[in-house]
Amino acid sequence: MNDLVEVRAGVYHDSVSLMRVSQALTSRPEVAVAVVAMATELNVGLARDLGFELPPATPGDLLVAIRASSPAGLEEAAAELERQFAERVPAGGTSGTQAPPRTVRAAARAWDATLALVSVPGEHAFPEALDAIEAGLSVMVFSDNVPVEQEVVLKDRALARGVLVMGPDCGTAVIGGAGLGFANVLRPGPVGVVAASGTGAQQVTSLLDLAGAGVSHLIGVGGRDLSAAVGGRSTIRALRALDEDPATELIVLVSKPPAPEVARAVQELGLSTPVVPALLGPGQDDLTAATEKALRALGRDVPEWPSWPVPPGVAPGPAGHAALRGLYSGGTLCTEAALVAGTGEFTDFGDDEYTRGRPHPMIDPALRLEAISAVESGVVLLDVVLGHGSDPDPSAWLAPAIAEAGARGVAVVVALVGTDGDPQGLRAQAARLNEAGAAVFTSNAAAARHARLLLSRAGG
Amino acid sequence: MTLSMLYGEPRVITVGASVLEEALDRQAVPQTRVDWRPPLPGTSEALARVLADPRREQANATAVGRLLSARPQLVGVRPAREVLGLEPGTFFHAGPPITWERASGPMRGALIGAMLFEGLAATPEEAEGRLASGEGVALDSCHHHRTVGPMAGVVSSSMWMLEVLDAEHGGTAYCSLNEGLGKVLRYGSYGPEVVDRLRWMGEVLGPVLAATLEVTGPIDLRSLIAQALQMGDELHNRNRAATSLLLREIAAAVVEAAPGRAAEVLRFVNGNDHFFLNAGMAAAKVSADAARGVPGSSLVVAMARNGTDFGIQVSGLGDRWFTGPAGVPDGLYLGGYGPDDANPDIGDSTITETSGLGGFAMAAAPAIVRFVGGDVSDAVAATTSMYEITMAEHPAYQIPGLGFRGTPVGIDVALVARTGLLPVVNTGIAGRVAGTGQVGAGLVNPPVEAFTAALTALAAA
Amino acid sequence: MTVGTRPRARKAAPASRAPAVRHVSGAASIALREALESPRRPARVLASFPLAVYLEVRSEAEPYVIALVTGEAVRLPNAVVLAEPLDGVAPGDDGWVGDGVVEIGGLAVGARRWWDPAPPLGAADPARLPAALARLGEIRAGSPRRPGLDPAGAPAQLARGCLSGSLLDCVTAAERLIGLGPGLTPSGDDMLAGLLVTLRHLGLAAGAPRAVWLAGWLAATVTYDARTRTTPISATLLHCAARGEASPEVTGVLRGLAGPQPLEPAVNRLLRLGHTSGADMVWGMQIGLSAVLSHMESR
Repeated sequence: MNDLVEVRAGVYHDSVSLMRVSQALTSRPEVAVAVVAMATELNVGLARDLGFELPPATPGDLLVAIRASSPAGLEEAAAELERQFAERVPAGGTSGTQAPPRTVRAAARAWDATLALVSVPGEHAFPEALDAIEAGLSVMVFSDNVPVEQEVVLKDRALARGVLVMGPDCGTAVIGGAGLGFANVLRPGPVGVVAASGTGAQQVTSLLDLAGAGVSHLIGVGGRDLSAAVGGRSTIRALRALDEDPATELIVLVSKPPAPEVARAVQELGLSTPVVPALLGPGQDDLTAATEKALRALGRDVPEWPSWPVPPGVAPGPAGHAALRGLYSGGTLCTEAALVAGTGEFTDFGDDEYTRGRPHPMIDPALRLEAISAVESGVVLLDVVLGHGSDPDPSAWLAPAIAEAGARGVAVVVALVGTDGDPQGLRAQAARLNEAGAAVFTSNAAAARHARLLLSRAGG
Repeated sequence: MTLSMLYGEPRVITVGASVLEEALDRQAVPQTRVDWRPPLPGTSEALARVLADPRREQANATAVGRLLSARPQLVGVRPAREVLGLEPGTFFHAGPPITWERASGPMRGALIGAMLFEGLAATPEEAEGRLASGEGVALDSCHHHRTVGPMAGVVSSSMWMLEVLDAEHGGTAYCSLNEGLGKVLRYGSYGPEVVDRLRWMGEVLGPVLAATLEVTGPIDLRSLIAQALQMGDELHNRNRAATSLLLREIAAAVVEAAPGRAAEVLRFVNGNDHFFLNAGMAAAKVSADAARGVPGSSLVVAMARNGTDFGIQVSGLGDRWFTGPAGVPDGLYLGGYGPDDANPDIGDSTITETSGLGGFAMAAAPAIVRFVGGDVSDAVAATTSMYEITMAEHPAYQIPGLGFRGTPVGIDVALVARTGLLPVVNTGIAGRVAGTGQVGAGLVNPPVEAFTAALTALAAA
Repeated sequence: MTVGTRPRARKAAPASRAPAVRHVSGAASIALREALESPRRPARVLASFPLAVYLEVRSEAEPYVIALVTGEAVRLPNAVVLAEPLDGVAPGDDGWVGDGVVEIGGLAVGARRWWDPAPPLGAADPARLPAALARLGEIRAGSPRRPGLDPAGAPAQLARGCLSGSLLDCVTAAERLIGLGPGLTPSGDDMLAGLLVTLRHLGLAAGAPRAVWLAGWLAATVTYDARTRTTPISATLLHCAARGEASPEVTGVLRGLAGPQPLEPAVNRLLRLGHTSGADMVWGMQIGLSAVLSHMESR
């Protein structure tokens, strides 16, 4: 066999960069399989399963395992590997001779920052986040799998320092217009958002932007913040901070229904800025309705949310056995759609069980494409989330899949979450999805209602 | 409750996934990227516990604050038996405690030499036999007695000790007198010329220096070290400037105190570029000792080697040693010697690195960069990398070549585990075989396990 | 949350004869939103510097001059801050602005972030404003940076008019100051810009409606024929100032005057701008703050 196996000690690259390298190698015709990853137990096991013989390695080492169809092919692949790594030499510090900092602590000493963004693997996030807090910086912890005890410690220390912890598992924040993580391009405006749900916050802020209202800041707090264990520590801090912010005239709080004692604590804050809750759950307003409430509270008109219905005759209504299949990338959007539709089988592909060891579905469509092609009849409802960090052109893969589904008699409804400023282009994406035969809605709730309507028309 | 990040332009420190960094670039958000690597294998749980310790931040500030504020002064030169209560037959040695059985060649050689010097044995063979049987002989670590010694660091009751007082915190520390280069006890030589020199040091050098200090009064070592750094010393492998400065301070007083012996004493000091090393080590020791015993602190207060083990002590963990095997230094060799002749790392002189000098101040000493493996940029890189694992920058010890930035001081066990960067240690290299003496000088890597073991203990403390 | 690999671009291969265009993105002032999102219009490079390029858009709407700047440059209220270095653009180059992009030279610039050149100041504590005014005077006096105009003449008349609330004095002085002085942004314009944003924002923050009213009249005066009276860049900046829009350096000083944020570093940062521009603006701001105080007291 033409195998190249190498363990490089003390070389570190983040998992996303390594996935890109692996993908670049695998896409070469002469390469059968390529594993370029940190030598964690998981990755070593993976390479062994592929039949590679590995020398001993620790998780701090870089593992390279390539199998090619010929010795020449292997040589070319090895050259490509080096080229890829040469491109990925850390860009790092500002001056050529100065080595880049190795911890957030060192970075904060050398450079005047306003916040830190931590996305190292969750088991290692705590020290970096704590560094930021001790340096007097607010910190967004994008990493997931951070133990809840560490979250509480971080949030308590932050409170003592007068800074804020966004996260862990905080997917989105927009601070002074700067999108951190997955975030839409938002115009500045009077609405401050505090969110324990990433995609929920993206839905609310995108609608606010579409309505011309704009957003002062979107502060993520992490999915667990309003649980009894964390007690809303960051939510309360964020609400108070926005209450003081002269640019914020109204606050929207996006969350699953909080633990009762936490809800009480939030209510008893006595803020001078009005707070509109968008608490997703049975009997609550959906996110669109909550957004509309916020707009009315500001004295603004509620627009008709942009949508692109299927022109009659372009695609057939659902035929045969009519069932609803929800294929989501955003957890909150998935929950909302299931609540609004009241029927159907929903899958959140952003859930941990689908993202372990692979990219998030907001970036990698493979799993959802597979799921779409498996639907034989009825209605498919799915979300497409635009903005920073997301797939640069989702309609490129989705439009053909929609057209094929249409040909099978499957109706497709898309909740398209995004703004006119987003790099992917909201209207261009909508047009392409619509041309392929999908009904497209900027409101997820409207999309879910439309899907239900299609079902009832089909008598399902 | 104002949250400052909400006002003004966001400036972001990023650590982790490069996609997120690229997204910030596209928004023209100013950012500094951290070149992050996973921590030393198996340390992440202990790290989280140590970092979460509510005492840590204040404890470290207190401990390193004491280390930085110490004002070491050379106040006297006195016999070990007098100041340390050292009885004949009891010997202090460098590094963590060790037995004769586990002792390396140079350590054994130095102990043999000390036995001969004290008149406890007539021949090396007899000395070796006594030491091996343990009869009437006791060994203990210098560090357990406010003392440090270079290389083998053997101290016996008749040796004269430099006495250094911390005028800020009141502590005292001791170090023997430097014998010079060539065949010397600290490198494990024990021939007649070694013992004769020790006798002269006990009879002449010690008493003359003691009388000299009576004349001069306390000599401010903090300011002397600060000046020497600006004159090209790093105070471990280069002490030329510091020795010269010390000589200037004492010369007139030597003549006044002992006119008959002044010439030989001054000639001896002048002939030994490392004469200051021992005073610098005592200064470092008294400063590091000021930082001991702060519960919750992860500050390293001692690094020392006995030729077999490399050990460290941590402020929050009392007098416990955390050890790993001493490595063989990488460096330049004298004459026909090579790596095969080298003994594993030995000596208490790593107290200089512990207090922010030596390898940590490499950038101050361009004259010796080749000696320790490279060019000036390597020296700058060595010093710069030490800021990653230290708590502070020294207010008085500054490096001209780095824009008078303070030297990196105060090794944090947690930062070592997080970055995987080990302290840079400059060192002399002793011959493996007892009696050989010095064979070279270079750099050595401390063993990782000493630091991970200390971290684990801190997590349990 | 796990993020992963981006799929490779699936767009069709570019036409082979298309000229090489470098797509860059940046952070745009929200003041430019309309200009950027309107149907595209022709534009031309007025001036080009290593850190900034100024474009004139053929449009009646303001701002009709757009600044493309790098992160190190002063971020004017009409600026798009680029994520990359500026190069390949020369004075006289033709291009387009609109449909979401600025196309000029070999660059196609899209906005990936919007920032607010007129962030609300919130309420200012009236009790601390007199001390802030005194401190501002001290910092000015202690700085080697001096304004570009003789204090006698129009500046004195402007200060008098603002203090007394005399619209006639104010408007007359403003008429004399527009375009007065050398440079890309003449000193008189910079001074008026500093005055306008201070009257508007601090007047609102401190509850001095008379100051806001004065700002309105002055704004009308300076914008009426700015395009014919001064350089295009300066005229656009006056239009921005008339709406309360300024660079973050100016906003920083306003925040220092109104609230607990440190004043001195903010003022020094502003003073350092340009040849005399920063000093001219600080002077205007000082006159503005005096006027706000006097109109608070006279209520």
